[in-house]
Amino acid sequence: MNDVALGSVRPCLEGAIPSMMATCAPDGTPNVAYISQVYYVDERHVALSFQFFNKTRQNILANPYASVLVLHPQTAEFFRLHIRYLRTETEGPLFEGMKAQLAGIASHAGMANVFRLQGSDVYEVQRIEAVEGDPLPPKPTRCGLLGAVRHCSERLSRGATLDELLSATLATLTDLMEVRHAMVLMLDPVTQRLYTVASSGYPTSGVGSEIAVGDGVIGVAARERTPVRITHMTSAHLYSQAVRGRLQADTPGLTLDVDIPYPGLLAPHSQLAVPVISIGRLLGVLFVESPNDLQFSFEDEDALVAIAGHLGAAIDLIQSAPEGTDEAAAAAASSVRLAGSPLQIRRFPANDSIFINDAYLIKGVAGAIFWKLVSDYLRQGRTEFSNRELRLDPGLKLPDVTDNLEARLLLLQRRLVEHGPLIRLEKTGRGRFRLVLQRPIELATMA
Amino acid sequence: MSTPACLLTPDLIAMVDRGVSTIVSSCDAALRPSIMRAVGSSITPDGCSITVYLARRQCRQLLQDVAATGRIAVVFSQPHSHRAVQVKACSARARPAQASDEPVLQRYLAAMEVEIGRIGIDPGFTRSMLAHRLEDVVAISFEPSQAFDQTPGPKAGAVLSTGGTGQAA
Repeated sequence: MNDVALGSVRPCLEGAIPSMMATCAPDGTPNVAYISQVYYVDERHVALSFQFFNKTRQNILANPYASVLVLHPQTAEFFRLHIRYLRTETEGPLFEGMKAQLAGIASHAGMANVFRLQGSDVYEVQRIEAVEGDPLPPKPTRCGLLGAVRHCSERLSRGATLDELLSATLATLTDLMEVRHAMVLMLDPVTQRLYTVASSGYPTSGVGSEIAVGDGVIGVAARERTPVRITHMTSAHLYSQAVRGRLQADTPGLTLDVDIPYPGLLAPHSQLAVPVISIGRLLGVLFVESPNDLQFSFEDEDALVAIAGHLGAAIDLIQSAPEGTDEAAAAAASSVRLAGSPLQIRRFPANDSIFINDAYLIKGVAGAIFWKLVSDYLRQGRTEFSNRELRLDPGLKLPDVTDNLEARLLLLQRRLVEHGPLIRLEKTGRGRFRLVLQRPIELATMA
Repeated sequence: MSTPACLLTPDLIAMVDRGVSTIVSSCDAALRPSIMRAVGSSITPDGCSITVYLARRQCRQLLQDVAATGRIAVVFSQPHSHRAVQVKACSARARPAQASDEPVLQRYLAAMEVEIGRIGIDPGFTRSMLAHRLEDVVAISFEPSQAFDQTPGPKAGAVLSTGGTGQAA
């Protein structure tokens, strides 16, 4: 029986086939039980789900040694993990990652009301034995994942705008990783909400739709700054963005419909959300989903975490790159006279929500930015603007220097495109852009 | 302690007799547990005696532990229903499997192909998982002294009945 590395048994830890665990009471009586989850923590540790205070748990607290039997889901090879109990975690990234995954396993097994994670029991892996047997041939190694990461890395290195970075990321997922549904959300650090800035594979883009930090797979990944992967459809309410989103939308009392519908699948079977972090700061979440069970493996998770890391660094670099100066922009004023019926642009100051001819456009910081642009245009005839002047404008109340202005502008630009052809934002250079109008405008601030 | 009214209910005896997932464990003098999946099992009609079959090459430590301590714990479970029962004994005996055990092992394999097929697993996978050579198989027989409901849930571990001191499993 050869000793093997934990990394090579990760396929056994995907929850496709339940694992078994043997423990021993202080009087020498053995005990054997099924365990729902053997969760890979790192090369030296696994975590097991603590759901009930049963004999296994009593034994472990008295005698920390256990043996876990896991089965390879393709080759039918057994491995024995000799482990020693270290501690139990009841909150934090590991706990939340396991809790979400368990919700999927539980729903799949018809045990949604039975399985509830009370704690993540962390064990040191002391030895792994490959058990002799007559294994089936392994499935051909999935090739191309590292190539996909490389491809994405190259494109991200070349990207000069947030738009290009997000397109490179989504294109890698769809073209090289067989992902059919994906979205990128950015964090608003003040409201602690995540807003969609890019998506692919949905009937509507959902750009501008929001999720609170802590809500659903995406919100939990953001709150805990840890990947969250669910491999089966879960009936657990917490992890169903679409259902939650709709419940909130149905809440009576909202006089103005300022919710952009969440674009995600109604009944995702596989979900994977990865936080986008740079310099220890959460920037957003990269999210993929599928209508099929077991669509995303630990390898997809590894690849997505690598891509999200590069994306985060690239977003930060773009933001800190020097921007163009204001002078040229301020000097150029539009002298074109526009014809046609004017667009009625209304602003509700309470939340900076903007309506164009009664159609909701955007709210919040992006709404305030839009209002500044159209106001300056009416007062001064200006159409050329710079990021720098937006940052310096006290009226915009940009959260702080770390706020992702590029993301706000991209969100605004994309919402305008979805709204129609009559008002657009065009990028004219690094840190500069132009307001392009096809019609005259009239502004009104509502009480 | 003279035994034995049987600890298992007739439906549990029937479940074990049909052939379901069988996981065996023991532990050594230093209280380190050992574990392996059995390649076969059988139960007497009265439920008082159980035999589990193990491939020697897969679990030398477990076999050594059973030989040294006589202690054994076995879980029988039906994958699609999650129904499970654990039995324990402290006087298990091992012997090499013989030709007369072959039909038992074949019947078990056939039952498992169906049982595991019910959760969508291919028979070829089950055959590989339970692969063994008769000359390498060890039969361990024991009379359960404790039995526990092991179906997942808060009641898992409830004593079905005891042949001595009972404790939740």
